[in-house]
Amino acid sequence: MNALPDSHPLDTARPARWFLRGMRGAVSTPGVVLVATFIGFGGLLHDLGFPILAGLLSTLLVWALPAQVILVGGLAAGASLPALAVAVCLSGVRLLPMVVSLMPLMRGPRPRLLSELVCAHFVAVTMWAEGFRLLPKVAPEGRPSYAAGLGFGLTVLSMAGTAIGFYLTGALPGPLAVALLLLTPISFAILLVRNARRPVDWLAIGLGTSISPLVANSPGGLDLFWAGVGGGTLAFLIARVLPGRRA
Amino acid sequence: MNFLTTELGAMLVVIFIGFLPNEVWRVLGVLFGRRIDPASAWMQWVQAVATALLAAVVARLLLVPSGALVALPLWLRVGAVGSGIAGFLIVRRSVLAGVLVAEAVLVAGAWWLGVSP
Repeated sequence: MNALPDSHPLDTARPARWFLRGMRGAVSTPGVVLVATFIGFGGLLHDLGFPILAGLLSTLLVWALPAQVILVGGLAAGASLPALAVAVCLSGVRLLPMVVSLMPLMRGPRPRLLSELVCAHFVAVTMWAEGFRLLPKVAPEGRPSYAAGLGFGLTVLSMAGTAIGFYLTGALPGPLAVALLLLTPISFAILLVRNARRPVDWLAIGLGTSISPLVANSPGGLDLFWAGVGGGTLAFLIARVLPGRRA
Repeated sequence: MNFLTTELGAMLVVIFIGFLPNEVWRVLGVLFGRRIDPASAWMQWVQAVATALLAAVVARLLLVPSGALVALPLWLRVGAVGSGIAGFLIVRRSVLAGVLVAEAVLVAGAWWLGVSP
């Protein structure tokens, strides 16, 4: 493990070492749960007939499971590409506050735009939670490399999960194959409940859920768009006029 | 079937319809992060839309599923997810516990019904 000599603190070998330590940090309980959900995504890819290499590319590049599920599910349902791009874009909004809040911990003492963009790419819910847990323990000069290593480690594990799920579904007996497919909705449902704090969150969950079946076959594959924008806007407006909030 | 289901076509879709529209928010977070107020009404609306959209994705996966999940009755799909949420709330808000409870309910139900997709 420690093939690199322990020399000067600002040695050029240090970033590689922080990177490797970050990758090792990816192997944890949240990392295991993440891999399980990507095994479910791999099963979904197989179920929908989506090509595996493109599926792996989506894990590497999109690196946000809701967006990936919207993309492959929408394609299978015959949604139009512009409508899908809008739905994917809307689903990614939650990444912005995550990047903004985690960036001070990933930036390090000498900020560089490129390294900030690389670190920001790896930000998704698991990276965000694990970053807050692990990065404060890392020396500030090692944080950008450590964060990149952590994100890369989680990505590699998730790509392995995607491939395993894809090839496993066909080989599993019925009850276990459906169990694999349930991993995606169950992890999203728990994620929603975990992150819901204010009335507007619960309203958005309730309205998004109930509008979705009503618009299930809307023309142009815009059902997610209507459920998301319609339900979200309604939730936002209702929460604004709700009594009992500070004036 | 068509170009979109070939590896190359699907990869182009992943890049242009998946990667770019999604990555925009991360890039904006880096470029304007210090100037964006997360508590502003605009950001609150955008967050509510993202939450409703994710809830709609879950509802679509459960209520109008495609593929092997169709073989299960609706009550079992919804019941499994409902018991998963209950498991999460009861067992110290553990995501792992919630997932395991939901899967246990689903596998037991599917086995009992003799599901074979």
